[in-house]
Amino acid sequence: MSAIGRILLVEDDPNDVELTLTALEEYHLANEVVVTRDGAEALDYLYRRGAYASRANGSPAVLLLDLKLPKVDGLEVLQQIKSDDKLKMIPVVVLTSSREERDMVASYRLGVNAYVVKPVDFHEFVNAIRELGVFWAIINEPPPGSIKKD
Amino acid sequence: MDQATSDGEQAIALRKPPVPKPLSALQRYGLAVFSVAVAVGIALLLQRFHFRAAEVPLLLLAVAISAWYGGAGASALAYVLSCASFDFFFTEPLYSFYIEASEIPYFIVFALFAVLITWFAAVRRQAEAQLRQARDDLEVEVAERTQQASLLNLTHDTIFVRDINGAITYWNRGAEELYGWTPEQAIGKQAHQLLQTVFPAPLAEIRDELFRSGRWDGELKKTRADGSQVVVASRWSLRRDEQGRPSAILETNNDITERERREREIRLLNEELAKRTAQLETSNKELEAFAYSVSHDLRAPLRHMAGFSELLQKNSASALNERSQRYVVLILESARRMGNLIDDLLAFSRIGRVEAHKTVVSLGQIVEEALTEIRRDTGDRNIVWTVGKLPTCFGDRSMLRLALVNLISNAAKFTRTRSPAEIEIGCINEEPDQLVLFIRDNGVGFDMKYVNKLFGVFQRLHPTEAFEGTGIGLATVQRIAHRHGGRAWAEGLVDKGATFYFSLSKSSEFTI
Repeated sequence: MSAIGRILLVEDDPNDVELTLTALEEYHLANEVVVTRDGAEALDYLYRRGAYASRANGSPAVLLLDLKLPKVDGLEVLQQIKSDDKLKMIPVVVLTSSREERDMVASYRLGVNAYVVKPVDFHEFVNAIRELGVFWAIINEPPPGSIKKD
Repeated sequence: MDQATSDGEQAIALRKPPVPKPLSALQRYGLAVFSVAVAVGIALLLQRFHFRAAEVPLLLLAVAISAWYGGAGASALAYVLSCASFDFFFTEPLYSFYIEASEIPYFIVFALFAVLITWFAAVRRQAEAQLRQARDDLEVEVAERTQQASLLNLTHDTIFVRDINGAITYWNRGAEELYGWTPEQAIGKQAHQLLQTVFPAPLAEIRDELFRSGRWDGELKKTRADGSQVVVASRWSLRRDEQGRPSAILETNNDITERERREREIRLLNEELAKRTAQLETSNKELEAFAYSVSHDLRAPLRHMAGFSELLQKNSASALNERSQRYVVLILESARRMGNLIDDLLAFSRIGRVEAHKTVVSLGQIVEEALTEIRRDTGDRNIVWTVGKLPTCFGDRSMLRLALVNLISNAAKFTRTRSPAEIEIGCINEEPDQLVLFIRDNGVGFDMKYVNKLFGVFQRLHPTEAFEGTGIGLATVQRIAHRHGGRAWAEGLVDKGATFYFSLSKSSEFTI
């Protein structure tokens, strides 16, 4: 576990952000999480524009993406990422409340790397987030050009 | 039909005049001999009374009569006999056949007269024969036409003929029945005025087409004698005379008023149906949007409630007294229950919304899968499972699986107080078009008084403390059964177990 990848969390609900960060904290992954509150902001981060114009180069190791988002929704963000040659290698995990089949089908069609339904039960939720964080930020070898903290 | 035909034949027979019988050869030549003999007799008689020169016209008359009634042969015989008699009785020397050379022109002129008369007779005969032939032909044609006309009267179709100026010349019984005018009233009238015909296109265009192609068909509105309107499918055929000039129009009409009315009704019903379908689609879309939003937005606050309660429990356990800690546990339990409720409700509404994927499904295999899933939860309980032979059917696999999981887990749940619990799963395959599955248990059963409530949404017959559940499972089962052309029902007795039935259509035609 020499390197921890950066996690980009795209989530509009502050409660979900707090619960997600709490779950990641247990594995000391929270420091490497960048939170964006809607799809537009997430794209700003990825394209280093607007508020993120001055950030250092490099892509996140994984993007945790909610589907219901203000302005630009999750599926649009996913489509944008997967249709851009520079961004399409970033692993994207859809993290959503919805168990709706059409969301799942649409996400996989667009090339999502994983699809996780947030469990209502907190234990399960914590487990899910932790496993996601550990797998994508630590175990998985991210594509070249990702931001890593040694 | 027979009546009409024989009437026609009788009429023809009555009108036919008697045909004169041709004379036999004996009669014809006899006539020649007889008429010459009579002429000679009369001439001799007249001579006795000193009337001279009557013999030539009399003999000519005899030749003429023979030629007229007996033909050329009789005429020739009469001529020869006349010449002989004349020579014998009336020329010098009397009573001898001697002919003087000076008398020869006399005989030749006589012969020419005879030939002329014979020729006239022949021409007359020929004319008479032609006339008779023409009359016979005419009679045959009249008979044929009469028969055709009476046949046309037999058809149910409305047929009438109008001449090129529009005046009705023929009007069959079908026309009388449809329009209410008798042939006597209709014939001679202007067809379009009598029937107040409404044309779908200008009459000139219709006539153009009729004259060009000889035919026209279309729908016409006409008015009956009683003033009511009829819509008819009308076919026109043009009749031309020998010179190729249009002479008459035969019009065949079929009453399509009723058909038209039904078509209009069907059209209206279809429009209504389309409208309702559109409304249904709209409300279905709204329902889907609603379910989608429930799925997303109702779960999130629940998750937060559960999450923060748990964090509270974890971080502040020491600060909370026992009672407060119990409250936190209750909050957590409620949140979990509400989560289950939402999941079940969404599953229930999805059954009604989603399109079914019909395939051939092995019920035995589905039951096997359901049992595997349920045995995980029943663990160490003593349950005796009896699974009968189950057929394959046609339906949506995931829906059928959900229905069976619900029914079997229900049986497992309500036999919790029994040891051993007995659960039997089987199939009654007796009806030609329905398959009936049953799940029988020896559990707590239910009062048949409440059987109607069993399959309603949120209907529960047991307190949550005794048997957990959301009250949606059986409603989902019922909905799945309906979507498979069947239904779900139950029989039970308090404390004596229950049997749940689930039927589905064997036909692959049902809409799910």
